[in-house]
Amino acid sequence: MSNNFSRRDFLKLAGVGAATSAILTGCGPASRYVKREPYMLMPEYNYNGQSTYYATTCRECAAGCGLVVRTSQGRAIKAEGNANNPLNLGKTCARGQATLHGLYNPNRVRGPIKHKRGDRLYETAADPFEDEFKDADSNMNWDDATQTVADALKKYKPSEIAFLMGTTSDHLFDLVADLSTQTGITPPVRFGALSMFESRATLAKAAENLFGESGLPFFDVGGAQVVFSFGANFLETWLSPVSYTRGFAGLREAQKKQRGKLIQFESRMSSTAGKADEWIPIRPGTEALVALAIGRLALEMRGGPLPRAFSDIDPEDAASKSGIKIETLQKLAEMFANSTGALAIPGGAALGQSNGLAVAEAVLTLNAVADNFGKPGGVFFSALAPNQAMYQRPASVKEMQDFTKKLADGKIKVLFVHGVNPVFELPAVLEFKKALDGVEQVISFATFPDETALEADFVFPDHHGLESWGYQRVVTGSAQPVLSGSQPVVSPFYDTRATADVLIAAAQLAGGKFASALPFKDEVEFLQSKVAPLMSEADGFFSAPDINTFMAYFQQYGGWWKTTDARLVPTTADIFNRSLKATEAEFAGEGEFFFVPFVSPTIAEAGANKPWLQELPDPTTTVMWNTWVEINPVTAEELGLVDDDVVKIVSEAGELELPVYRYPAIRPDTIAIPFGQGHTAYGRYAEGRGVNPTDLLGGHFNEAGDLAFAGMKVKIEKTGKKQPLSRLESMMGVYGVGLGEEK
Amino acid sequence: MAGYNKKAEPAHAKAESHSHAEHLREKHLMLDPLPRGQMNSMVMESMYETSWKFWVVFAILSVIVAYGLFYSWGVMIAEGLGVAGVNRPSYWGIFLVNTVFWIGISHAGTFISAILRVFKAEFRRPFTRAAELMTTFGLVQAGFSVFMHMGRVWLAYWLMPYANQRMLWPNLHSPLTWDLLAITTYLLSSTMYLFLPLIPDLAMARDRSTGWRKTFYKTLALGFRGTEGEWAHLRNAMNIFAFAIIPVMFSVHTIVSWDFAAATRPGWNSSIFGPYFVIGALHSGMGAVIMVLAVVRGTMKHMKYFIRAEHFDGIAKLMLIISMAWAYFFFNDYMVQWYGGDKWTHQLLHFHEAGPMGWMWFAMLIFNIAVPWAVLWNQKWRSTPWIVFIVGFFINVGMWFERYIIIPISLSINRMPFTWRLYEPGIEIPLGIGTLAFFILLYMGASKLIPLIPVWEVEEGQMAHELKQFGRETVVSVSELE
Amino acid sequence: MIRPEEIKMSTEETGKWGMVIDQDICTGCQACVAACAMENNITFVGEKDSGYGRSMHWIRIERFWEGEYPEVKMTPNQPMLCQQCGSATCEPVCPAFATVHSQAEQLNLQVYNRCVGTRYCANNCPYQVRSFNWRDYKRPEPLSNQFNPDVTVRRRGVMEKCTFCIQRIHKAQDTAKSEGREVVDGEFTTACAQACPASAITFGRVDDPESLVSQLARAHGHGVKHLEELGTLPNVTYFKGG
Repeated sequence: MSNNFSRRDFLKLAGVGAATSAILTGCGPASRYVKREPYMLMPEYNYNGQSTYYATTCRECAAGCGLVVRTSQGRAIKAEGNANNPLNLGKTCARGQATLHGLYNPNRVRGPIKHKRGDRLYETAADPFEDEFKDADSNMNWDDATQTVADALKKYKPSEIAFLMGTTSDHLFDLVADLSTQTGITPPVRFGALSMFESRATLAKAAENLFGESGLPFFDVGGAQVVFSFGANFLETWLSPVSYTRGFAGLREAQKKQRGKLIQFESRMSSTAGKADEWIPIRPGTEALVALAIGRLALEMRGGPLPRAFSDIDPEDAASKSGIKIETLQKLAEMFANSTGALAIPGGAALGQSNGLAVAEAVLTLNAVADNFGKPGGVFFSALAPNQAMYQRPASVKEMQDFTKKLADGKIKVLFVHGVNPVFELPAVLEFKKALDGVEQVISFATFPDETALEADFVFPDHHGLESWGYQRVVTGSAQPVLSGSQPVVSPFYDTRATADVLIAAAQLAGGKFASALPFKDEVEFLQSKVAPLMSEADGFFSAPDINTFMAYFQQYGGWWKTTDARLVPTTADIFNRSLKATEAEFAGEGEFFFVPFVSPTIAEAGANKPWLQELPDPTTTVMWNTWVEINPVTAEELGLVDDDVVKIVSEAGELELPVYRYPAIRPDTIAIPFGQGHTAYGRYAEGRGVNPTDLLGGHFNEAGDLAFAGMKVKIEKTGKKQPLSRLESMMGVYGVGLGEEK
Repeated sequence: MAGYNKKAEPAHAKAESHSHAEHLREKHLMLDPLPRGQMNSMVMESMYETSWKFWVVFAILSVIVAYGLFYSWGVMIAEGLGVAGVNRPSYWGIFLVNTVFWIGISHAGTFISAILRVFKAEFRRPFTRAAELMTTFGLVQAGFSVFMHMGRVWLAYWLMPYANQRMLWPNLHSPLTWDLLAITTYLLSSTMYLFLPLIPDLAMARDRSTGWRKTFYKTLALGFRGTEGEWAHLRNAMNIFAFAIIPVMFSVHTIVSWDFAAATRPGWNSSIFGPYFVIGALHSGMGAVIMVLAVVRGTMKHMKYFIRAEHFDGIAKLMLIISMAWAYFFFNDYMVQWYGGDKWTHQLLHFHEAGPMGWMWFAMLIFNIAVPWAVLWNQKWRSTPWIVFIVGFFINVGMWFERYIIIPISLSINRMPFTWRLYEPGIEIPLGIGTLAFFILLYMGASKLIPLIPVWEVEEGQMAHELKQFGRETVVSVSELE
Repeated sequence: MIRPEEIKMSTEETGKWGMVIDQDICTGCQACVAACAMENNITFVGEKDSGYGRSMHWIRIERFWEGEYPEVKMTPNQPMLCQQCGSATCEPVCPAFATVHSQAEQLNLQVYNRCVGTRYCANNCPYQVRSFNWRDYKRPEPLSNQFNPDVTVRRRGVMEKCTFCIQRIHKAQDTAKSEGREVVDGEFTTACAQACPASAITFGRVDDPESLVSQLARAHGHGVKHLEELGTLPNVTYFKGG
């Protein structure tokens, strides 16, 4: 054989081998950071004109989708889904695609800054599209920055030190959690606007009440035949949108089985409801009644004794209160009862009401009628992510309120903020910004000049997610336990430093228990210490005998996951025998309109500074670059409003002025505003654009401590002003406006 | 026969043959000859004598041109077409409206001088030049407008078939290429056709001027001395051009219409667009000619002698006929489009009338049909310069509206309702005004440099016309010239 | 006498690359739009221009409404992109040969550096999927670091449109050629199809009966080609579903 193996063949093979190894191993073992070099001096594993691909994890939300980022000559070019990652199987959402606009955002914090609270972190100019918004210069070096952190750790009592962290990245949370357990500083608090609008605490609490254990339920939409979704906007931002969208495609898969149906109950047609076969414009607050009524009607159709959980509900009463015809309820119940794979999902605005917990319990209990617990197309507990003992959820707004109070009372002397923007995201009534006055030293690790960084004494910018190491636990969305791994795909663009490195170095400087709590050389060593236990786990996607090889695979594949289905089956023995409170929600405020804030599917909590996310049309309204209020056309006519009229929305907590979008698919007694805009900082593309609906939210909570964000009533006042919204759609072609035949 | 209307003469006037002859002379330029030298000096004076008002207007227009045309265009070249109002789906806007409009204006010159020459309509003689100047200057504006329209005007030469290393040629499948070739041909031939009859007048001016004008006219007159052989050559050339330019004229606007008619768009894809556009061009062109004549007559010295009520009367009659023809074509186009039953076309036709720009559709019909029909029936009205000036103005506005409806308004509606959107002009407005001002400016300049009246043609006509007395009858006789 | 089956349009072609879009599972999430913008160096235009029909999206998702509240329904999301017509109306009208047909790939090409900006092609595109660079829209530093080196950056005055990610086609063909094989179905895909979380977009060879696009087209059996009646021979097939 060797006789036939020509030199030419050898070169061919060698070439292919070299290219393959360059792509597969990604980062060469010797280099931890990719250097951005002139074309003449590229990293040795780069070929001129050849791209290098790195697997990492998306940090645009907490879901933990795997990315493969294409880089060329040291620049990140394109984010693509990681096909190996079982969570997203090579797919991404729009926000994941636009993550590069975060990395190369023209307004980032360029280096460590000592800063007077309230001062700007970049110079503004008149026109964000024409003028330069110059970033503030770094005015200290990283040695001093690290010393500042070390001094802060040393100076105050452990109980006076607090960390407020975002929902990404988990490795940093673990590091701070370790620091906290070993040194006694306040345990880190995590928060994010998405988790606020997802009402994760309510879901977990309801699961605990019904199944006896806390955890995040997993809904197998893809395996179901009929899905009843009570407000869960799972095709937009809810929990893990990419994975749930795949599930939805599975629901509709025509070749394999009968086309599954989606019925959405919500007062405003979200883009999830837009895909539903039927949208039931339910009266806000009556979701629990409707879920129980459907359950009762379904059980009655089947015959047999009525279990306790469904015995108290009167379907007629539920019908009249919810505004749904009893015939419709019966039809839906019949559909639910006769389906071989029915599934009910609670979520979204349905849970963000005073009776949110009751809604979650009622809807979860409805699944008992379908008897789908732990079955394909049914309800599971999400597989517990690797290297995690139990499900940890982000703080509810109630917990954040307590935390804010601690800040305001001066109980916390130094606050470290990372990966979250509470000044923008928390409802204004919580007065987080004012509470910071009670804190002696605020140190922000913000990558972007956001509102919270503005209120900090120091900004020690962390790398962008694509420049960072780390991992993210996948809490829901995949059948397997998944730990999505991050690695830097480009070298840091600015003089930023990984917060983990800063904390490790500061802990060493601080000495004592701090030094012993974080006995690591750097972030990567810490990461290895966390990943190492996975080597002994069974059923891994890969295995390796030593940690270096294991880490190389971990980087190459973008994380580690099991190959077996590890979803947990809830214990449901008693589920029918609980007595469920079929309550209606209570609404705060004087107004005549129910107020539904929803997360913008394209911009979400942190997308406003990414220009291409701003230019993406909203899936339901096609509006770009702004905030609008959705009003039913009939209501608008009664109020004498047309599109682009600016109205003032007044709630008990505040008021906002924004233009009207006459939305044909919203209840006439309901108005809706997307969340995501209304920044007062955060870079040239975000600042001064739209309004923030959290300014309208009062401090009302449901029983699980989640914010009753959909539990407000508001008033509409005319202002007489006009502000044209930028729409992709044609108002003539879609609504017939100006065609001479008003629809 | 031409230029002479027997019916206009009341029967009882026959008795007073002398005063009748006077009357005819007063009415008809051809019957009212002046000595050759006097006529020549009248024309020369009209060029020489310039009032201060002329210079005021000239200065104002120059400022408008400098700002509206050159500065605004510079801004647009530097910034991109974003400063204009074009968008999706109205990718074409006022620039092409103006292009079609100016090409339309340019049609009148050829029509009057070539067609009327070929058919020996004698009343054309004093104003052929004025009309031909409109052709050339109108085409200049059309050229400006079409270049403004281009996204990368600095590469406009790519549209010309020029020899280049990469062997790249313009796409001969594209109506725009045909258009470009047709307009270029038209510009060249109409300029030559303007120049040929100008030669004897330039020679006349050369003989009667001094200084720089002498040099100017000497250069342009190409040494014309008025020999029999020169005249024979000139007549031959003019005859050839007069016949040859008529199909060019028809082809130009037909090809312009194909830019639209050849497209796959509702409302555009119409086989009648060719003649419809030609007649529309004549409609606006005749309106423009009559406006120019009214202004020239009112402002320039001695022009009341050359341009008389009979000329307005004659052109106005043509206008009336053309207006009827336009109405016929419009109805024909509308009827067939509507009858076709295509839903997008229906949507578009409805949008024309009832959409936000519906007023323009009705204004177009009123200005193009109702106004000329109501006014031009009356001989007295149509012989009054200021009345026909106003009618001509309305027709031009109406025809501009017609092009506006065909281009940006029709583009608002397409087969993808998701993209329907209105067009709002931006920098097109100063640029459009700039081209109009430039047209007037060129015309004013030309009126001071070129004999606006083709003296030799008038003289030739006057020589051919004779008033003869047969008993009491005064009879106009015209002798065959060629 | 000519029998009907003998009549063949001279412009007819079989098509090579094609797309199948399942509107039933398209959620309208805009991931394809973002992916397309990132892959193809598409510029953003800002609030004012995007609201005036000047956004540069190469792919847009259309949705309409049916009925009145409460019986109102959103029509299935319809991603609209260049249909890569076999007999494209945009091609013959370009005076500069900037809009041309690729004989090799059977795609509609836009030659940016040949375009002089007459915008005739965009007028004549019945799908209205061409976008014009109305200005030199600013992409301040360091956003330009993200540019895909395989795709030209367009300047003002130039028309552009979906290319079916021809840079990816070429890359896959080059790779296959260097390895002495044919391009395998599914080896690469367009940016939009790659991103689509619902896998509503499938890209591949329509002239290969075994490719996934062809199989999907057969399996659904009720695909629609938009404005087919114009004779444009579009290469994108839509399934309305429902």
